[in-house]
Amino acid sequence: MSIAIQTSKLTKVYEGSFRAQDVHALKELDLTINQGEIYGYLGPNGSGKTTTIKMMLGLLFPTSGTIEILGSSHVGSASVKRNIGYLPEGAYYPDFLKGEEILEYYGKLYGLGGKDLRRRMAETLELVGMTHARKRLLRGYSKGMRQRIGLAQALISDPAILILDEPTTGLDPIARKEIRDILANLRDKGKTLLISSHELLEVELICDRVGILFEGVLQAQGTLDELLQQRDVTVDVDGVDDAAVSKLAEKGLQVEDRVQSRAKLRVASAITAYEALELCRAFDLKLIGVAPRRETLEELFVRIVGAAQSTRRQ
Amino acid sequence: MGAFIDFFRGPWYIAVYTYREGIRKKTLIGFLILSLLVIFGASFISSYLDPTSETDIDLKLIKDICVATISIFGVLITIFISASVVPGEIENKVIYTILSKPVRRIQYLLGKFIGAQLIIIVNLLLMGVLFFAALYMRQGILPTLLLWSMLLTYFEFLIISAFTFAVSCASTSAVVPTIIGLFIYITGNLTEFLKDVQNRAGQSGKWFDDAIGWIANALYQVLPNLQNFSLKTQIINGQPNDPPTDVLIPNLMAYGTLYAVFGFLLAWVIFWRKEM
Amino acid sequence: MKRHQKWVLAGAMILILVLAAAQGRRVRHLRESEAFYRWMLAAAVNERLFQDESGQFKDKELFDRCNAGSQSLAGLAPAVAAPNEPAKDAAPANGEVSQIGQASQEYKNDPRIWALAQSSELADVRASFLKMARTRQLRFAQDIQYAEAEQSGVGLFNLFFGFRKVAANFIWIQVDRYWHQGENYRMIALMKTCTALDPHFVEAYLIGSWHLAYNVTAKMMDTPWPQRKWESRYGACVGEKEKYYYVAINFLKDGIRNNPRNYKLYFDLGFAVYKQKLKDYQNAVKYLSEAIRQPHDRWVPRQLFICQELNGQYAEALAGWEDYSRRFAETQTGQEVAPRFIKRNQGHLLEQQSEQAFAASAAASDPAEKERFRQEGLKLRGQAKDIYTVLGSTEGDGLRMRIEATELAEQKRYMEAVALLDKARWESAELWDDLSHRIMRYKAEGNLPISLSEQKEMEREKDAGLCEGIPQQERQRVLERNAKRL
Repeated sequence: MSIAIQTSKLTKVYEGSFRAQDVHALKELDLTINQGEIYGYLGPNGSGKTTTIKMMLGLLFPTSGTIEILGSSHVGSASVKRNIGYLPEGAYYPDFLKGEEILEYYGKLYGLGGKDLRRRMAETLELVGMTHARKRLLRGYSKGMRQRIGLAQALISDPAILILDEPTTGLDPIARKEIRDILANLRDKGKTLLISSHELLEVELICDRVGILFEGVLQAQGTLDELLQQRDVTVDVDGVDDAAVSKLAEKGLQVEDRVQSRAKLRVASAITAYEALELCRAFDLKLIGVAPRRETLEELFVRIVGAAQSTRRQ
Repeated sequence: MGAFIDFFRGPWYIAVYTYREGIRKKTLIGFLILSLLVIFGASFISSYLDPTSETDIDLKLIKDICVATISIFGVLITIFISASVVPGEIENKVIYTILSKPVRRIQYLLGKFIGAQLIIIVNLLLMGVLFFAALYMRQGILPTLLLWSMLLTYFEFLIISAFTFAVSCASTSAVVPTIIGLFIYITGNLTEFLKDVQNRAGQSGKWFDDAIGWIANALYQVLPNLQNFSLKTQIINGQPNDPPTDVLIPNLMAYGTLYAVFGFLLAWVIFWRKEM
Repeated sequence: MKRHQKWVLAGAMILILVLAAAQGRRVRHLRESEAFYRWMLAAAVNERLFQDESGQFKDKELFDRCNAGSQSLAGLAPAVAAPNEPAKDAAPANGEVSQIGQASQEYKNDPRIWALAQSSELADVRASFLKMARTRQLRFAQDIQYAEAEQSGVGLFNLFFGFRKVAANFIWIQVDRYWHQGENYRMIALMKTCTALDPHFVEAYLIGSWHLAYNVTAKMMDTPWPQRKWESRYGACVGEKEKYYYVAINFLKDGIRNNPRNYKLYFDLGFAVYKQKLKDYQNAVKYLSEAIRQPHDRWVPRQLFICQELNGQYAEALAGWEDYSRRFAETQTGQEVAPRFIKRNQGHLLEQQSEQAFAASAAASDPAEKERFRQEGLKLRGQAKDIYTVLGSTEGDGLRMRIEATELAEQKRYMEAVALLDKARWESAELWDDLSHRIMRYKAEGNLPISLSEQKEMEREKDAGLCEGIPQQERQRVLERNAKRL
């Protein structure tokens, strides 16, 4: 598997003006994005995600370190940018134009023209589900429609790499699902996608690999399987009462998510699943199911960021 | 040759879309309507004069007022447009979508600059056409001198536009460049005054005075002098002893172009490594 | 790579800036040359036509330097020699017109003068011109554009941002208002401000001088000669009313210096002021001749010919009319007006020649010679009479009767001559003054009683043109002229 984007020791310092302190936005970032995967680039606000993306596009310049995109280090040159589609966060588009005119404009900037351009326009509009609104002025678009047309302009040249900054922000659940499907579909076609997002659930659903950035440092990077700890087992039971809860806890079975008499019992590492089941039987609880408990991305995120925060505090 | 055309294709599309966007700006339309009102109103200025005297004086009044109106409103439009084409896109982040396309920064700048020039030229032409019509209705002959005057006016605007554009590239909003653009226009007209500073500064013979004089002279030599374009108001009335325009106009055009190129290069230097 | 690019860019910027500065120098050179060229034309016009010198200013000195340095104009003779006699103040002080002055006579030479103005030949003269103009040592470069900022701060020039012309226009509206309010003195001051702001505001000169020479003076009485005072500035005896004529003349002269190629200014000076108001046909002819040297309208030469006739230059007037009728054969004036004037001038010319013949006859000592001249005179007079008869109508008849009266007077039939002239002057109003003078002369010659009004007229005529403070030389000239007339 070849590498689509790789950064090494990428550092960005925003020089403070006058008496303000310098801001170290990125510290020796080593990022690797493989071709044909969806990479979730995560991090809290101000962690340096957008800075990284802008440097990849040549909008910002690294203080030190290098970026290689598809093997070329001429980041920001036309030949590299030709292979990238970019959907910026919260961007506006010339709103005196109609949906299809925007695509025509951006397509022309990619050097497309004539039949080729018209075919691509029709395809991308269809892909993002905007064919019905192609003749309308952008001024009258809803936020979701703008986001879709933004995605369409990023896709117009059928680029090998797509960089999407918060692609699903402000969309309703159905639209999110649709966008997700589109992105998954693109991956299946062999595109590389870099998605920067706060929407951890979204990312978890479609990303192959993630990187978690905090204060300019890549705290973790890997596939979801590598990163998410698959530590314990939960047992779903019915017929729990308060007395049972305290007794179970004594034995090392923690009750989570109790809704009336139903509860999830988390099996601590001290006891085995079999012992847990024995306990349930002893308390005469009705067994509904046994499942492995996998850490969510959210938990991972909170764990990693929390750890980083506490190290910094010390 | 192909590479050359390719290089200008991107800028051309950017220019066309900049033009299409710019021409819709409400402020611009406001300026245009105001100037058209003044040009139209100037036709009635002669009502202030003795109606019994049969002279060409009202014609001269219309010409002078219209040339001045075109200059003033044209300059406002020029400054407003040149100051806002780039910061406007930075502000609404459209620039990210464009610079992430296979477009070099110089191409982007060139496109924006050309787009701004298109807007300025079209506005100038609109005002000029009305003025032309007003004169034609009154005089009955085509006032061709007006064309030369408009041409000079444009080259004056070109200098102002290029420098304002350069300033706007360093800025993220259009307010500061607009103010600086006005400042450029005013100081550009006062360049002659530097000569006086030099003449006066050298009088005491002290080193500080001499230094001021030297600096004033250096600036005088280097800065563009917009007063050179005052020829535009001279030729409009077509007096038989006008200076030889066939020498002056091409030289002024070259003058305007050179300073515009300098202003554009300055914009490029500013924009070249600008962090967005 | 990036570093390399940076240097290339910096180099390109410096190169462009140097080129732009060089172009700026060139443009500045052109604008300075333009100012110099305009001043040179103004100085040339002044030297050739007005000889208006003032010790306070150094125009003449600088103009002499220009002439000394201008080798390239050598041998550039004026295409047309001055057609008229030099007027009383036409000859320059040094007796001849300088090279540039001669060249400037023809507007077609302007490119040559422009070339001279921007040539390196006159580089140091141009430099001193700029210096002198800035320090206001030159009268004809008072255009504030070249003047240094005033001690108090920024000059007017800088304040208007190149919209001086618009300012001039609005000031003109105020001038117009003052005129309607009858505020003449304010109007004059403002008119001058107006032309200072825009020295090429030709209409301001034209309308301003028209106001001064006509409208302001319309309600005033002619000042009787004894009440006038000699004004050396104008070189004339002036009263309250006449002063305005000369203010108008100077205003127009300013205009001519600033716009030497506009015929309207010459025309107004020659026709509207000198001919119509001052009845100074000599100067009228002088300026109208200048007017037709510039690109002009068709009706301009006609006034010149009329003034030439009034000034006694019949041959020139005749040639002019003949040329006119040839050139504009298809127009109404060419077909109807010109032939009448041609006839009249032919008559005048014959009459003049006949008088010369009679004078020669009177001067000749040989009787045969005397008789031959007399016969020739009679023949010419007969021809003149025939022409006048053919001309007919009021003007022809008046002129014919004038000849007949002369014949009667020669036969000592003064009473009949006077009666004939009296009849003629009632018929031809334009000859009134001339015929009245003749009546007085014949009455004096024939010892006929003169009327009271004629006596008064003669009293007035005796000291016409004389006033308090008139220089001796001028006084002598006027007295001789009066003696000749009576």
